[in-house]
Amino acid sequence: MSDVNNGISRRSVLKGAAIGGVGLAAGGSLLAGCGKKKVTGDVHFTIRGNLSDAGAKINVAVNEAYTAKTGNKVISQAVNSDDFQNNFVQIMQGTPDDAFGWMAGWRTNARADAGLLADVSEQVKALGSTLSAAAIQGATNPKDGKQYIIPTTYYPWGLHYRKSTMQELGLDPENIATWDDLIKLCEATQKKGLVGYAMGDKGGWEAMGTFDIINMRLNGYQFHIDLLNGKEQWTDAKVVDVFTHMGQLIPYMNKNFLDIEWDGCRDLLLQKKAGAMMMGSWFANDFKAKSQADYDDLWIVAFPEMNPEHGIDSIDAPLDGVSVAANAKNVEGGADLAQFWGSKEGIDAAVAAGDTSIYISSEFDTSTYDAFNKQKLAVLGEAKNIGFFLDRDTRGDFAGPVVGPALQSFLKNPKDVTKILENVQKQWDALPAL
Amino acid sequence: MSTTIVQNKEYRNKQRIKDNFISAFIGFFAIVWIFPILWTVWTSLRPYNDIISNGVFSWPRHLNLDNYFTAFRKMGLTHYFLNTLYVTIPAVGLTLFLGSLIAFVVSRYSFRFNLSLLLLFTAGNMLPIVLTYIPVFWLYIKIGDLFGNRSLLYNNYLGIILVHVAFQVGFATFVLSSYMKTVPKEISESAIIDGASVFRHYWNVMLPLLRPPLAALGVLMSCWIYNDFFWALILMSEDSKRPVTSALRQLQGQYITDFNLLAAGASIVAAPTVILFFVLRKQFVSGLTLGSTKG
Repeated sequence: MSDVNNGISRRSVLKGAAIGGVGLAAGGSLLAGCGKKKVTGDVHFTIRGNLSDAGAKINVAVNEAYTAKTGNKVISQAVNSDDFQNNFVQIMQGTPDDAFGWMAGWRTNARADAGLLADVSEQVKALGSTLSAAAIQGATNPKDGKQYIIPTTYYPWGLHYRKSTMQELGLDPENIATWDDLIKLCEATQKKGLVGYAMGDKGGWEAMGTFDIINMRLNGYQFHIDLLNGKEQWTDAKVVDVFTHMGQLIPYMNKNFLDIEWDGCRDLLLQKKAGAMMMGSWFANDFKAKSQADYDDLWIVAFPEMNPEHGIDSIDAPLDGVSVAANAKNVEGGADLAQFWGSKEGIDAAVAAGDTSIYISSEFDTSTYDAFNKQKLAVLGEAKNIGFFLDRDTRGDFAGPVVGPALQSFLKNPKDVTKILENVQKQWDALPAL
Repeated sequence: MSTTIVQNKEYRNKQRIKDNFISAFIGFFAIVWIFPILWTVWTSLRPYNDIISNGVFSWPRHLNLDNYFTAFRKMGLTHYFLNTLYVTIPAVGLTLFLGSLIAFVVSRYSFRFNLSLLLLFTAGNMLPIVLTYIPVFWLYIKIGDLFGNRSLLYNNYLGIILVHVAFQVGFATFVLSSYMKTVPKEISESAIIDGASVFRHYWNVMLPLLRPPLAALGVLMSCWIYNDFFWALILMSEDSKRPVTSALRQLQGQYITDFNLLAAGASIVAAPTVILFFVLRKQFVSGLTLGSTKG
């Protein structure tokens, strides 16, 4: 809120004050004008992920809409997502772009604590009621109660299957209400010679989806988050119970689950070799790439209830958004652009350009969505609590290096569960404080 | 008489078996080395769809060059190739110039520190670059801040060029000084007697003799710097300034990577080095034995 950007300079206020009583009124109007101050200057924007044709179009459309609205030019660049994440700390300390697409959860909060991200609470407040309470909650840094990311989109983790496969098998996955139903479904699929529960955990993170959901279903969202933040013990009987349930799924998995990554698992479903797959639904476009019929055949449902106390009130839905670099040249401009990406105008521009992401905003118009995307929305709508996926809900040096290998060794030797969990807890305890 | 013929025959047979064995051995390793490259090219000819629906090892339904066209278009290759040239040409030129200067001094003049100087440059070569990237990063930022322009070295071609020169000059010095030691001392002596200054001695006498190692080193270093991805990634914050190796990363998505397209992209990016190798094969081979005759 510098003089330059206010539109009303310090001198004009002084002038007002000189006229005496009028000065007070002018001061008042200046304060009132603060919320709507005009932000100027070029904005540099980084988008993660490759600018595939669709992604590029959406990026350009939203930024152009912003330019049309404000007159501020947006200079955007696309970078490889992994490279950007891995070098994030360096990039932020160098000459970062003003705003960039980012992920909520630990990855935002820890970097905000390190002073790398700018506070965008004001912009979140301006978006106000269009954001659900859960989304704002998810975007809030627990340490200081401020937001460092404008949440925009998310996607659900759920059970994916092919309608035709289920029909051929005479199964009805819409009605798997309980854990026993799921086991029965897996059993029936396996009897027909298919993989019951497709799994690929070579990457180490894929099985986290299954762990997350079982933990949230059995022990509730709060326990899950507390566990991931060191407030609960991994050796707790409740956690052992989660692994016991996970172990019940192993007989229905493809035997090579440690040899294939998530995409191998997707191929099992695509090639009609598997029944159900627990996965984030980002891969739907691969089905479309094969054929429209394959895409129309794909469906998603929420993971069944396991504990009536918690029902199906939680889901893993990684929340993406736009953050602003604290070190940027044009922090205000970046924050303004970030807000635009979360606003109705921004979303409309994205959807018009063919975006099929699920936006958080309540003002987002889903009428152009196909059946699968509407179903994704429905699955998300059933949940009250949103987890962001294990590797975003906990420390980066814990998720990948500790939990990933632990899940892999569990899948290999489920009998070692006590030893594995003791080991996980020991490694958490050994982590340096942040 | 007859016994010698038999002996010769035996000897020839023995030799033939040995030759065959060696050929088979070499052939086997040639296949092991060439296989990944052929597999990449093979993959690049198949559409993504073919792989996800039929698997990697399936018999191909379609083979075409579509991936190449798409990769070329998506990567904005001309732009990134130019970026690579901006970095490679000055970096190689500077490295060779500075390397030959140091090599000249340490091999032609004897003073107290010339061995330790050579050791210093060679030892620097042994340092893994990943250990140094954070200090280099901060060095660049701080120097930039000192001059009031953070992009003086960081996010600037100058910075990338300098870092390549710094890391390659050690090897260049080592190779060139070993080569210079094979040049007869008498040439230098006569130059000095004829009254050549130090620089003339270097420029008009030694440099022309260094043509073969300079050519070989030039080729090797161009390949190394061309293939660099690491420094550009660390020291360039703007993707549009990065070299062609980073354009490949454009083909990878956050979740989904079209490996067939990536294979096509990789083949395109690798092509210049392969072509360079075939054109300058002689220099490459002499580069392998550079400095091995006299240390």
